[in-house]
Amino acid sequence: MVLKTMKKIKENVCLSLLSISLLGGILTGCGNSSESAGKENAAVELLNVSYDPTRELYVSYNELFCKYWNEKTGQDVTVTQSHGGSGSQARSVIEGNEADVVTLALAHDITAIEEAGLIEGGWEDEFEKDSSPYTSTIVFLVRKGNEKNILDWNDLIRDDVAVITPNPKTSGAACWSFLAAWAYQQEQDGQDEPATQEFMKKLYQNVLVLDSGARGSTNTFVENKQGDVLLAWENEAYLSMQEYPDEYEIVAPSISILAQPSVAIVDSNAKSHDTQEAAAAYLEYLYSDDAQRLAGQNFYRPSNETILKEFSDQFDLGMNLVTIEDFGGWNEAYKKFFDDGAIFDQIYEN
Amino acid sequence: MYLEMKHIYKTFDGFHASNDVNFSVEKGDLAALLGPSGSGKTTILRMIAGLDTPDSGDIIINNVKVNSLPGSKRGIGFVFQNYALFRYMTVAGNIAFGLEVQKKSKAEIKERVEELLELISMQDLGKRYPHQLSGGQRQRVAFARALAPNPLLLLLDEPFAAIDAKVRRELRTWLKEMIARVGITSIFVTHDQEEAMEVADTIIVTNQGRVEQIGTPEEICLHPQTDFVADFIDTKRYQAMLLQ
Amino acid sequence: MKKEATQEYEQDLVGDGINSIQKVIDPHKTEAAHATKYVLISVCAFFLFVMLVLPLIVVVINALRDGWAAYTEAVFDEYTVKALQLTLLATVSAVAVNTVFGVFASYLLSKFYFRGRQLLSALIDIPFSISPVIAGLIFILTFGNVGWMGDFLKAHNIKIVFAVPGIILATIFVTFPFVFRELLPVLNAQGKDEEEAAALMGAKGFTIFCRITFPHIKWALLYGIVLCTARAMGEFGAVSVLSGHLRGKTNTLPLHVEILYNEFNTTAAFAVSSILVILAILILIARNLIEWKRK
Repeated sequence: MVLKTMKKIKENVCLSLLSISLLGGILTGCGNSSESAGKENAAVELLNVSYDPTRELYVSYNELFCKYWNEKTGQDVTVTQSHGGSGSQARSVIEGNEADVVTLALAHDITAIEEAGLIEGGWEDEFEKDSSPYTSTIVFLVRKGNEKNILDWNDLIRDDVAVITPNPKTSGAACWSFLAAWAYQQEQDGQDEPATQEFMKKLYQNVLVLDSGARGSTNTFVENKQGDVLLAWENEAYLSMQEYPDEYEIVAPSISILAQPSVAIVDSNAKSHDTQEAAAAYLEYLYSDDAQRLAGQNFYRPSNETILKEFSDQFDLGMNLVTIEDFGGWNEAYKKFFDDGAIFDQIYEN
Repeated sequence: MYLEMKHIYKTFDGFHASNDVNFSVEKGDLAALLGPSGSGKTTILRMIAGLDTPDSGDIIINNVKVNSLPGSKRGIGFVFQNYALFRYMTVAGNIAFGLEVQKKSKAEIKERVEELLELISMQDLGKRYPHQLSGGQRQRVAFARALAPNPLLLLLDEPFAAIDAKVRRELRTWLKEMIARVGITSIFVTHDQEEAMEVADTIIVTNQGRVEQIGTPEEICLHPQTDFVADFIDTKRYQAMLLQ
Repeated sequence: MKKEATQEYEQDLVGDGINSIQKVIDPHKTEAAHATKYVLISVCAFFLFVMLVLPLIVVVINALRDGWAAYTEAVFDEYTVKALQLTLLATVSAVAVNTVFGVFASYLLSKFYFRGRQLLSALIDIPFSISPVIAGLIFILTFGNVGWMGDFLKAHNIKIVFAVPGIILATIFVTFPFVFRELLPVLNAQGKDEEEAAALMGAKGFTIFCRITFPHIKWALLYGIVLCTARAMGEFGAVSVLSGHLRGKTNTLPLHVEILYNEFNTTAAFAVSSILVILAILILIARNLIEWKRK
């Protein structure tokens, strides 16, 4: 009797081991099916793969858009967000992260997705203002009081200054910062390229931590208190000021760059998810007055001139800004500065 | 002939464990495979049990060639050198295991287990676990467990090796009596000549994978046929013993 | 007689190391030995305090910095709950798969001899020696869009990377050897005798496993499962590469902590960390219970 029950127990243990392994298989299967469940339902799901500092902007914008879309079509929409360095986010989309829309830091990253065949050509003209619903620029964030007296780009190469900026290979902000510094020094040197390269080399020798994304750099500077100056998105700098009032100051350099984060529908994914309509509306609505104001409130410069003026107290609208066109457009600029073996590699490796 | 081994060869990595082994054992006989360690006696026992397969040669049990039969189909009871009792089962569980595997009825199993516990005088210890038993008790359990499914042939690998010298003699007598009482054909492996002389009806002396001599203890002592046997066995001592 | 017998069996089981150390040190109660002992104790205690206790205290303090309400809000936040669910799913799957695999593989390697045995054993250890980030990249390169199986998976509408299956695969990968490594020595020590004895009585493989092998490896198996669980829950590197950071979908708890931290949401980050700490402590208790039971 005892023997028999013990045998039973032991057989049960064996069975339950087996069933656990089966369960594992079923659960894995579930993961698959829930991914595709969205298609049949009336609700629509969008995946917005974005760059690092837009987390807060899109949390509020998604709310705004969901309300708008529901009122307009009666359909529920949920937007899933994903954030990281702009370059690495673009790469993840190319490798299979099935974004319906991408809202990245620079046009070049979207071009990379286009080249992988996931976005149709001509996306730059699909939305207004070269598909840049909001812009920003690069500013310096320094600690309160600016004890090191950092006022312009040429202060960054001083021996006593430690700079925090992300890696241009993975981060959009870093590319914009690089180009802004380059534009400044070109003007100082009268377009003498070797001299400018020498300047950039000194600047990157002063870089203390090279994070992979803008938010990583912000954390390094703000939370971990590393370095004397952060080369930051204007919006990121304002956000830090808001999170930690009285601890930081923003310094606007004499020259900076008009940073145009770009947006695009990832056509092949939207097509297979059957979300083209909602995806287009999602990006289109970024240009609405409400959304433009929301961008302003989140410290992005609205591309709508009228609404930008509403924020003239907040932004230094008199800043001297070069544009990517001064560099011959993103494709040319990227090839010249950031491709493997190009100028950034040369100055950073030596 | 109850068991016949015909021209058995077996090598392990080039080592000749069995080199043309031939012998037979009569029904009801208690035979000892005696030889120094490394002489191939355990390999022979394992081949009879089907735990190892000969490279060539025939094994015949009860007129059936069993070469290709699995050990479990050969009607064999096996007592391992360290008894290999199932350490997570009680004494009764150990004895019952073979019967449960054969899907015998509960009542039948219970009866047989009780019968065997009585045979080994351990009626009260059925619920103990192996680690709660002495070496001698474990041997008795291993013996009962091997006998439980009523095998035709009982094989014992160095049955006394793991037991204290003091109680070894006592157990030998016990085992010999038991085997006689059950009346089962048995073969045991030993390297201890005294043990073989005292317990076995027939002794098979092995050396370097070969059988040197087969015979009763008397024959082996009085008429050793090879130099090895004469040398290995302390003949004088046993001659004196036998004459007594 | 009886005592001897028990001792012999105890030695068959694992580890009497502590007893033997005591025997070596105790007879020499010299002052030097005493001094050494206390120096070693203080070094250990100091190291543990700085490396373990202090950070844990910081986690708790920071988690509760904004009060209990903020803490519960962070812990019961929709995305935190989803991250916890995903972490548990990945952990349960990894434990299930690796338990089955670990049992099979260790049984194979301890009971059978074949060519390539050593090689197989070494291969199973790869996840111990390889960086989890590389493990993640391997999966991207295999199952990603531009990867080796990308076209096939796309054609059949199977999503692995940047989706839940990828997270599960990565977790399985990094916790692969735990159960196997725990079982192998126990099975090796057991030898083959009991199984041979059972087989000679006519028992089939499955019965032998359930009734002879399993009771023997039970505690080691549980211990392996506990280690596997701990590692699976904490996995960051490989999962980070494969997740795509889709909030509420492919975020595990450790990834969620990073996201919260990056969002200047320090309190919530520490609150969510505290969930992991609590789970870790539960595992630690389970581990110690098992070790104690095993003795």
